[in-house]
Amino acid sequence: MKILVCVKQVMESESPVRINDFGRWISLSSSIRFEMNPFDAYAVEEALQIKEKITGSIIHIITVGPDKSRDVLSRALGMGADEAIHILDNRMDYRPPSLTASWIAAYAEDKGYDLIFTGIMSVDEMNGQTGPMIGQLLSIPCCTATIRTQVYPGQNHILVEREIEGGARDIFDIRLPCVLTLQTGINSPRYPSLSMVLRARKKEIAVIPAGSFEKKNPGVALQALHYPEKKNKGIFLNGTIENKVDQLIDILAKKALLV
Amino acid sequence: MIKKIAIIAEHHRGQIMPVTYELLTLAQKIQDTGLPEICFFILGDDIETLAETISRDTGYAVHGVHVPGLSHYNGALYKKILPALFIEESFDYICAPHSTSGMDYAPALSIALGGSCITGVEDVIQKDGTTCFVRSMFGGKISARFAAKSTPVVLTLQPGALKAFSPDKKRKGLLKKSVRQIHDDKMIFTGTRPSPSEGSGLASAEVVVSGGRGIRESQNFKYIEMLAGLFPRSATGGSRPICDYKWITYGKQVGITGTTVSPKLYFACGISGAPQHIEGMKGAGFIVAINTDPDAPVFQIADVSIVEDLMEFIPLFVETFKKKRREEDERNDVGDPFLA
Repeated sequence: MKILVCVKQVMESESPVRINDFGRWISLSSSIRFEMNPFDAYAVEEALQIKEKITGSIIHIITVGPDKSRDVLSRALGMGADEAIHILDNRMDYRPPSLTASWIAAYAEDKGYDLIFTGIMSVDEMNGQTGPMIGQLLSIPCCTATIRTQVYPGQNHILVEREIEGGARDIFDIRLPCVLTLQTGINSPRYPSLSMVLRARKKEIAVIPAGSFEKKNPGVALQALHYPEKKNKGIFLNGTIENKVDQLIDILAKKALLV
Repeated sequence: MIKKIAIIAEHHRGQIMPVTYELLTLAQKIQDTGLPEICFFILGDDIETLAETISRDTGYAVHGVHVPGLSHYNGALYKKILPALFIEESFDYICAPHSTSGMDYAPALSIALGGSCITGVEDVIQKDGTTCFVRSMFGGKISARFAAKSTPVVLTLQPGALKAFSPDKKRKGLLKKSVRQIHDDKMIFTGTRPSPSEGSGLASAEVVVSGGRGIRESQNFKYIEMLAGLFPRSATGGSRPICDYKWITYGKQVGITGTTVSPKLYFACGISGAPQHIEGMKGAGFIVAINTDPDAPVFQIADVSIVEDLMEFIPLFVETFKKKRREEDERNDVGDPFLA
């Protein structure tokens, strides 16, 4: 199996999210820390598990982003991936998924990947579009919200369960090549191992400038960013923690919810 | 200018999902003045009565696309049929639900039609002649407005974000029917597996206490159990991330991909309030949220919001309540009623 895993660098989930002075994007101050999109870690792990089942498999990792996003490639190599490709795009504002998808699809087109994986979405922009768009651009099947995969050595199809509302799963038999976007919880992503990290340091990362791809209409434009309007329907309890405990007991008792 | 808007109906197990009617509200909001031209599309093997229902309920045109064998959502078939339909008849906007199926076909549809795609739309704002689509980013901490720059515009609407539109209809909408014999051997539906939450008792509990990432490690789920222990007919649950971390089983997941609950009382402890979770519990009678982050989106829907660490608040709450109950019992205890 030849597998391409698409990963993205995002701000760490605990980082404060502040709109920048121009109101056009998020403030990326030097104190902010970045990590691999946690949903993409499931995609890397799933590829590694398939590689363990089917000998001779190779895993390529690809990302689109500025110089520093190289870190997520190193992390994936440290987890056990074989090679990494960096589509370098130094823009510091919003990049619509249609662009990301078009560049990855253009790269992947003639490389003969059997499987292309992405996380179900990125935790920052929450679009969930890149994977399905790559599938369409390459005219290959795409299954989103994949919660289980079953591969068969020497066969050109994969059995996939996708999660739907309520947690039930639809099962599909899909012919390769295909794109899968992986639902969280499909596996438990491993940590990079020291030996792999050391090995990864010696690996060269291929860099492709985003400008080398054919220009595309991004389709959408980010007009404005706001902090969500606070429309709290209820009340905030004030005072010390003891005061709050007493107030909550009173409120629940009055509503006959606690007796 | 009158906008031409297509709505793709969502149906599951012979039922029209409520988001279908919320999409009508979205369509109304896209058209700033006057009335848009709207047509519903519904795809499936057995959709005739569902198409009738939509046309009767809304008064709008419905195109029922009968696809023999499509008894269950299959992305490969949707992605073949939808582009063909919208090449035959073009629309300015195509509105789909932000459901597991809509999220699956909408981005591909926009590529196939050379249009644009905005997913997870929550509202529409008309500003200086531009139609802007409002959606959440960064876990609900940022609200962004997007404008579409190429048509058709394919949108997915967050279920529950807009109220269902019920037009003052005096007539039944025009019904059109077509048949698509289509097959795709690249992606074959072979069956379903039931949800792990079936039979968990979550849905029928009167009080649900749920934990999120704020519990920080699996053993701290005991605080959630401790609080639930105060209430008879209660159940414990959790957000998606703590199921993904394997701290609790998926059977306990509250949210769109888990159990949807509507107990009398719901506690969200250390849960920030992702749309996936909120959608699964906002029907609760009374919601108490405990979180250290005052900006947590969960506070927007809570009746009582408490900015505290659950691991301090819950033990103190349980202890204080038990003490009060003991004191009350003692006050009420006037000895043997026959001797009094």
